[in-house]
Amino acid sequence: MRERKNNLKRSESIAGLLFVTPSILYFLVFFLLPIAICIYASFTNWNILSPNRMFVGLRNFTKLFADPKFWKALENTLFMLIPVPIYIIFALLFGYACHKNILGQKVFRAVYYLPFISSVVSLTLIWKWLFNAEYGLVNIFLKGVGVENPPNWLGDPFWTKWMIVLMISWKMIGIISIYYIAALKAVPRTIYEAADIDGASSLQQFFSITLPLITPTTFYLLIVGLIGSLQTFVEIQMFAPDGGRGYGVATIVFYIWQKAFSSSQMGYASATAVVFGLFIFALTAIQFIISRKWVYGGE
Amino acid sequence: MKKKVLVLVLCLVLTLGAVNFTSYGAQNSSDENVKITFMGWGTDAEIATYRAMIDQFEVAYPNVTVDYITVADNEFDTKLQTMIGAGESPDVFYCSIDNMMKYAATGNLYDLTTFVENNEIFDPNNIWEALINRYRYDGENQGAGSIYALPKDVSVFPIVYNVDLFKAAGITPPTKEEPWDWNDYLATAEKLTSGSGNDKIYGSGAYSLESAIWSNGAEWVDQETLTTVKIDDLAFIEALQWAADLSLVHGVAPTTTETQALNDYDRFKQGKVAMIGTGTWSLGDLWANTDFEWDVMNWPVSPNTGKSEIWFGSAGLAVSSVTKHPEAAANLAAYLAFNEEAQRTAYTNGQAIPTLKDMAKGEYQEFEKAPASKDVLIDILENHARLATQSRTFNQEWFAEFNSNTAAVFNGEMTAEEYCTSIKPAVQQLLDDSIEQKKEYSAQ
Repeated sequence: MRERKNNLKRSESIAGLLFVTPSILYFLVFFLLPIAICIYASFTNWNILSPNRMFVGLRNFTKLFADPKFWKALENTLFMLIPVPIYIIFALLFGYACHKNILGQKVFRAVYYLPFISSVVSLTLIWKWLFNAEYGLVNIFLKGVGVENPPNWLGDPFWTKWMIVLMISWKMIGIISIYYIAALKAVPRTIYEAADIDGASSLQQFFSITLPLITPTTFYLLIVGLIGSLQTFVEIQMFAPDGGRGYGVATIVFYIWQKAFSSSQMGYASATAVVFGLFIFALTAIQFIISRKWVYGGE
Repeated sequence: MKKKVLVLVLCLVLTLGAVNFTSYGAQNSSDENVKITFMGWGTDAEIATYRAMIDQFEVAYPNVTVDYITVADNEFDTKLQTMIGAGESPDVFYCSIDNMMKYAATGNLYDLTTFVENNEIFDPNNIWEALINRYRYDGENQGAGSIYALPKDVSVFPIVYNVDLFKAAGITPPTKEEPWDWNDYLATAEKLTSGSGNDKIYGSGAYSLESAIWSNGAEWVDQETLTTVKIDDLAFIEALQWAADLSLVHGVAPTTTETQALNDYDRFKQGKVAMIGTGTWSLGDLWANTDFEWDVMNWPVSPNTGKSEIWFGSAGLAVSSVTKHPEAAANLAAYLAFNEEAQRTAYTNGQAIPTLKDMAKGEYQEFEKAPASKDVLIDILENHARLATQSRTFNQEWFAEFNSNTAAVFNGEMTAEEYCTSIKPAVQQLLDDSIEQKKEYSAQ
């Protein structure tokens, strides 16, 4: 009897294994293998154009840390984290409004979702027009309300970065609020009913019930958002194809791409990717540690 | 259980199948009919032209089929390098002059020297010598040694001017015999600058830095060894400042902010700037999108040297060193680069001026469309144009570094002297890196 059970268990686990094999293979071939190659390449002078490569030890890394452009790009990359709290807060408010039926739900959901499914390239072109220093609607508006010298959005890296922050926030609010609408629907009604009986105001209910109970969603969005933001690339390539004045707009991923494909320094680019990968990993780990203090785990 | 086995077997079959197909492809090479791939970028018009040419080629060489892959120009290098890295380089591909050394040094380009000497498609003596020599590389320097690509085009960068505005202001353009110097240029630009607000017309666009600096006898990098950055030379600083002062001091050119909002080229098309530098690749666009008469002239000479210099550009067609069909591939490259019909199509579409000397000096001069002074283009190409310095170094990062903040000079945040002295160490460092990279790549 026991043996049969064991057999059954074994064949079940084999079946299970077979089911996950495609995913594991996919992961191995498209994630683990490239990561391994990348780590290996980071210690070589591989240039992608030639199959030959030489082991150069830590040279790529020492050069990387000595390159002011790398630090500049890192600074700009961290700047790109600004949109995350912005769109999370606005998406929550918007999702809440939809959830409470304050806004005409369906229309607005579609409207807010549109930017997310539009191509970044076409969005960028539109934004370029909007933010044109002389002919753009934004500056015409700013001049109209009395700003004498509106920013040169596309020419001054400082303002270009803020414009990108604005664009990413605007683009993400729609999709993020969908997550929130789902999360809000999952909060049991009974808790609100109990709170009503206890005489809690709706504001109190929001801060003491709604907000804590949707923290798992917030945490997920935060992690995914931070990682996504750190990888900002297309916007940079579109708005500042050369990285902006004084490399003032370039992000790390842009830097990696430039090194890999414009300068054919695949080894060096790999080293940058390794360092940056570790950086993201560390940042995510810290978030997980802190999350124990604020994310609702279910009781 | 049977199903699972079936799945496993299927997976195996599919994997082996993929492997098998690849090896089948390789075996196929010995057959008479060959298939080659050709990768390029281009505007819709250029792509259409090339498709037509490829059709002609396939008629002329019936055993060759060409698979034409087009890629956006800003993604081209990424794609090509990835393909090379994966061992799947296209047989024939565009190779910009800036990248030629890099690809040749890493052994990715097929040596075309013998082919050029014995080919059946074109006469090497009918191509500008300077042009074809630019695609030579001897393992050390560009300009000598084996030929690694065939110039598919040549671009000249003249001043294009608005004839209507010139006539209205009573200005006679310079001639070959009586060129302008910088002072004449500035005086003219002042005369042509008028109006304000939306009616503002500027005399000049941003002045070509290459022209200003080279004509003034200065260089980014010493021309003998290409190892020393010379951007803090007095003549260099003077030229850069002069170009910046056109807007800063004299107000005859748009400010950097204005240029950001509407670039010189579009401004010119709207009739709001009288003289700009632009390349011959935009002739077709100017035909279609201007409603005034325009023509070309040579760049003014520097009053300090009495000479005028400007760069020319070119893109080449290279053959992959790992192609299985070198002959067919080289024939295609030559056909696309030098075919008379193709050259004619290119100039009648306003994409380029002919690379064939007899055509450029012959029928092209009679061609009805603007510019009227086509002889100026030939004169520039033969007597005043040279390859940009950054095209002759292994990579172009040092040049990008120099350009990264020239806006600070043009908007007056820094003087040319401050800028050049402050950025020189970084530029020199990147040039050193480029030299180092070349050594390393060539050694491999």
